[in-house]
Amino acid sequence: MSATPRAASGAPEAPAIRRELEVPPKPRNTLRTVLIAVAVAAFTVATCLPAIGGIELDLASIVQHWRNGVTKLVQLAQPNFAFLPRTWAPLLETVQMALVGAVAAALCSIPLTLWAAAPTNPNRFTRGLVRTINNVNRAVPDLVFATVLVAMVGVGALPGVITLFLFNIGIVVKLVSEAIDAADHRYMEAGRAAGGTQFQINRATALPQAWPLFANQWLYALELNVRISAILGIVGAGGIGRLLDERRGFYAYSDVSIIILEILVVVIAIEVLSNLLRRRLV
Amino acid sequence: MSLSHDERRGASGRQTPDAASWRIALDHVSVTYPGGTRALQDVSLSIEPGEMVSIVGLSGSGKSTLIRTINGLVGVTEGSATVGPHRISELRGRALREARGHIGMIFQAFNLAERASVYRNTLVGRFAHSPAYRTLLGIPSAEDRDIALRALDSVGILDKVWNRAGALSGGQKQRVAIARALSQEPSVMLADEPVASLDPPTAHAVMADLERINAERGLTVLVNIHLMDLARQYTNRMIGLRDGRVVYDGSAAAATDADFEQIYGRPIQPRDRLGERA
Repeated sequence: MSATPRAASGAPEAPAIRRELEVPPKPRNTLRTVLIAVAVAAFTVATCLPAIGGIELDLASIVQHWRNGVTKLVQLAQPNFAFLPRTWAPLLETVQMALVGAVAAALCSIPLTLWAAAPTNPNRFTRGLVRTINNVNRAVPDLVFATVLVAMVGVGALPGVITLFLFNIGIVVKLVSEAIDAADHRYMEAGRAAGGTQFQINRATALPQAWPLFANQWLYALELNVRISAILGIVGAGGIGRLLDERRGFYAYSDVSIIILEILVVVIAIEVLSNLLRRRLV
Repeated sequence: MSLSHDERRGASGRQTPDAASWRIALDHVSVTYPGGTRALQDVSLSIEPGEMVSIVGLSGSGKSTLIRTINGLVGVTEGSATVGPHRISELRGRALREARGHIGMIFQAFNLAERASVYRNTLVGRFAHSPAYRTLLGIPSAEDRDIALRALDSVGILDKVWNRAGALSGGQKQRVAIARALSQEPSVMLADEPVASLDPPTAHAVMADLERINAERGLTVLVNIHLMDLARQYTNRMIGLRDGRVVYDGSAAAATDADFEQIYGRPIQPRDRLGERA
């Protein structure tokens, strides 16, 4: 009854009050875990059996051809720093493309996202329309967009920027609209009760609520853009990818190596920068 | 205290300039939700301008539904709801928003945009009174700005105007919500369980704010509440709801414990009272 003062004074009788706890038995799912593991393993093996329609993995070919790769790897391990000055301009172009694409997409993503989320757009038809178009947009691989756009608007940075723009819109609109769907929206009832239109409610309350969600995805889009725009050059959509493809064509793997290193540095720099920004914003 | 408020009103020169208090009338109102739940059954009420009325009942008794039929957040299935010159139950679209612009409402969960500033939240009350382009640009008119700031001042939290709403305490949030409703320059004030999320001292303070709004502005105030002592202490008239029907309508102060037991449909328990003013 008076256990508290005794415990506080540290009297020797205190342990006598301790009784065994009746912990309910922990549920065990060993059998289920084993079954799932076996199923995953069996499925993985099955996908590697050409006889039943799986992919063909010829491990023997590694033994045959590994020498071909070694010379390339040796070259790659010796980045040619003398080539660095020639990469500045295309690298700058890559970063510019990434930024322009990300900023343009950020601006356009705001109305599109609010259109695609159920709380901010109660109209099922327009919401479905925006979502469907965006799903189609996301289903097209970036390189396909870039190839088609290079044919449409010519070789250079422009098709690259448009590709990145479309790619970013796809990511931001999908992820942020789904986050808005999942969030709590009691403030909307207040806006409605005050006689506001959906537009007013979205602009004055839903948008400030969604800023951190947007900021997160915009920064993520910028990060992705640097990586992707390095590849887009291969199909002629500007940036350092064009130079990379050219040096690869000349088998100048020391030059390729320095370009890869540069991209790595820029990607890490942008990642660090966006992490700093994110901490401020969120 | 009240004198200083009167002085402030005189000094500012404008307080609810064109807001006359409105009558509320429900005529044989029934509400059935799509799932088939009958939330209200044949409710008829008449509330005169300037009355301070509590609606008492357990959760699920139809209080929230009743109060929402008055500003059209819930549509009536049968009957009609009239507020001032507006037949709310027949309004749609622009006309409904225009009418709602004159009906203030506060909520149990405060319903603020937590990441927006107190200022932006208060300006929500000006939605129906300002053009959409001003909301788009985020630039309120000088008049709207003035009304919002005065509303914040009247509930004593003008010093928090640039704070994020989410950074405030529960009592402060409810005050912002009251300021938001007041900046509508409303003719009727609705409150849906305004103190159910607050601790007892804050709950009393918020109820006193509503009492003051009723007394000073002569505003019709309708408060949903489940605590019997708050209903007795702060309101003049009480409407008891049970299973969507009106089972009591009369003086709040004179309501006996037996009346409350009839409203609750069970004996009175300690949790039906908040406790004395701290």
